[in-house]
Amino acid sequence: MITINNLQKKFGEKIAVNIEQYTINQGDMLGLVGNNGAGKTTLFRLILDLLKADEGQITINDINVCDSEEWKKFTGAFIDDGFLIDYLTPEEYFYFIGKMYGMNKAEVDARLAPFERFMNGEVLDQKKFIRNFSAGNKQKIGIISAMLHNPQLLILDEPFNFLDPSSQSVIKHILKKYSEDHNATVIISSHNLNHTVDICPRIALLEHGIIIRDIQNENNSAEKELEDYFNISVEEEIAEEEVKENINAVKE
Amino acid sequence: MAIFWAGYLIFFGTTFAFAFDGGAQEAYQVLNSGLIFVLAIDFIIRFPFQKTPTQEVKPYMLLPIKRNRLIDLLLLRSGLDAFNLIWLFFFVPFSILTITKFYGIMGVFSYCLGIWLLIVFNNYWFLLCRTLIGERIWWIILPLSVYGGIAAGMLIPAKSPIFSYSATLGEGLITGSILTFLGILLAIACIGFINRRLMSNLVYAEINKVEDTKVKNISEYKFLDRYGEIGEYMRLELKLLLRNKVCKYSLRMVILLVLVFSSLISFTSVYDGEGMKNFLVVYNFVIFGILFLSSIMSYEGNYIDGLMSRKESIYNLLRAKYTVYSIAILIPFILMIPAMITKKVAVMSCVSWAVFSVGFVYFCLFQMAVYNNRTINLSVRMTGRNVGTGLQNLIAGASFGVPLILNVVLKALIGQETASWVLIIIGLSFILTSNLWIKNVYHRFMKRRYKNMEGFRDSRQ
Repeated sequence: MITINNLQKKFGEKIAVNIEQYTINQGDMLGLVGNNGAGKTTLFRLILDLLKADEGQITINDINVCDSEEWKKFTGAFIDDGFLIDYLTPEEYFYFIGKMYGMNKAEVDARLAPFERFMNGEVLDQKKFIRNFSAGNKQKIGIISAMLHNPQLLILDEPFNFLDPSSQSVIKHILKKYSEDHNATVIISSHNLNHTVDICPRIALLEHGIIIRDIQNENNSAEKELEDYFNISVEEEIAEEEVKENINAVKE
Repeated sequence: MAIFWAGYLIFFGTTFAFAFDGGAQEAYQVLNSGLIFVLAIDFIIRFPFQKTPTQEVKPYMLLPIKRNRLIDLLLLRSGLDAFNLIWLFFFVPFSILTITKFYGIMGVFSYCLGIWLLIVFNNYWFLLCRTLIGERIWWIILPLSVYGGIAAGMLIPAKSPIFSYSATLGEGLITGSILTFLGILLAIACIGFINRRLMSNLVYAEINKVEDTKVKNISEYKFLDRYGEIGEYMRLELKLLLRNKVCKYSLRMVILLVLVFSSLISFTSVYDGEGMKNFLVVYNFVIFGILFLSSIMSYEGNYIDGLMSRKESIYNLLRAKYTVYSIAILIPFILMIPAMITKKVAVMSCVSWAVFSVGFVYFCLFQMAVYNNRTINLSVRMTGRNVGTGLQNLIAGASFGVPLILNVVLKALIGQETASWVLIIIGLSFILTSNLWIKNVYHRFMKRRYKNMEGFRDSRQ
């Protein structure tokens, strides 16, 4: 489904993404994890052709994302508020998005039905513009709008952010079921290791723009590996700090 | 935008200097007797542009600075704001043309300094009223009764003392009367003190204010359903214009200006001269496009990622915009009907400018879709952050200037009626080929998309 070749993106001197070769297959549910600044959102923007790569290319179903817009027909994404038209009500926004994919209002209403529990009675019929919703409800609107046209490729950046625990649980279930029912490729990024391990059979660990581990996660087998990795990172940093402090103390 | 305001004021300053010249009174005496009107206009135009210190204080509240000191600083900043100098674009050329010959350059300097002080006083008077109105809407009665009272005092008596008082004040400014200046400074100090007391008391009420976010009537514009995806984008454009402060204020202001100019042409003889009349007619038709299309795509910068992740959405958006603003040309056309009825402006002339604007002028302005890459914040009114870029101002100026020059040249060469036909032919050729050049704009936008998206993201607030 997605092939990444020699992809490189720099911001000034800093290398944000540097991936030699990576393939995501149709039906994969991939979790992208990494510390802040690891390059997760940048990678998503590159996949969605919202940023220009300095080198390399990304293809979705053999279509180079820079050369054609055909892949947009079967791709849905939500990264941040920059995807939301915030002077519309949620209903208007959903109908607008639906129309972009050739759906009428009745079809949109039908597509919204499975999200009823996720919306928890706080999104529809509120007579409010999106800009006046809470961050959590904006997140819900963004996720639903990305899934409305049943895309074959779904990309969500930090989908659990701002959501209450119940909604996090519901969206985990929805995403897993969606991937299975539609054989869709789902890519999510998250700082929440538990959620990622719970729903993603494959997890890519990104650090400094490089995919340093591609982990097959069977029966939550990745949990320990990830926990060890992130704990070690913290311990390493603490050790480094201590060394620095000792050196300074000696100098003084 | 700022350049436009400055341009208007310079234009009116020089026009008034010549218009009031040669009467029983000198031009500056006429203007001085109506200084209150200037202050009233200044008061009104502050509403979309200016925030009160109580609205601005929030980010500073956690700093280790006393609340009263913060209010003092914000009040001082407001008094020294460059916005208070904008009227000098009117008064400097006016006073150079009318005062220099009697009082020399010192008279001009003293007069302009005094006018600035009056505007500073007006600034604090506005802040006082705006703060009170923000607290309780009924406080709007205060400025209404003050200005209404002054207007009644001026217009009802056969010989109003207010005119002569105003003229004496202006005379005092020109001659550099110490008493006059001291009086104004005292008035500024008093109103500044009242503001300080009021704002110190209201600052927490303002910070804790919550806007009612429920929408009472949600417009559907169902008639657009039949136009498919383009209709959907037209609906989006209408909602953009009518639901966001920055667009709503621009729309109201432009309708007001067109209405004023149209009325001046229709019912007064002030602009009976051919040159001025043409200027205002061109202005009325071009201003809609300039105001909304010179910043084309900058509003969409707020949600550009969402648009760009859908196929050809930008192309359809551009087509929808063209349709909406082409239909919107009917607004100035309708507002110009009184001028057509009173035969001040020929029907043919209005038709030709409407067609020319929709064709050629929009073609020029749509090119900005390729280059605009600064997001305009939709939730603020008009502030300094939303002023146009240099290129926007250049294109906007050209969109206004080129038609004016073209009209003068064509009229001189082939006469008014044939010139109108030429304008119609030029306009129609661009209208009929609009699909082609919009497609071209879209392709060029897509070539620059990375640069533009980066700019939109960086300038989003």
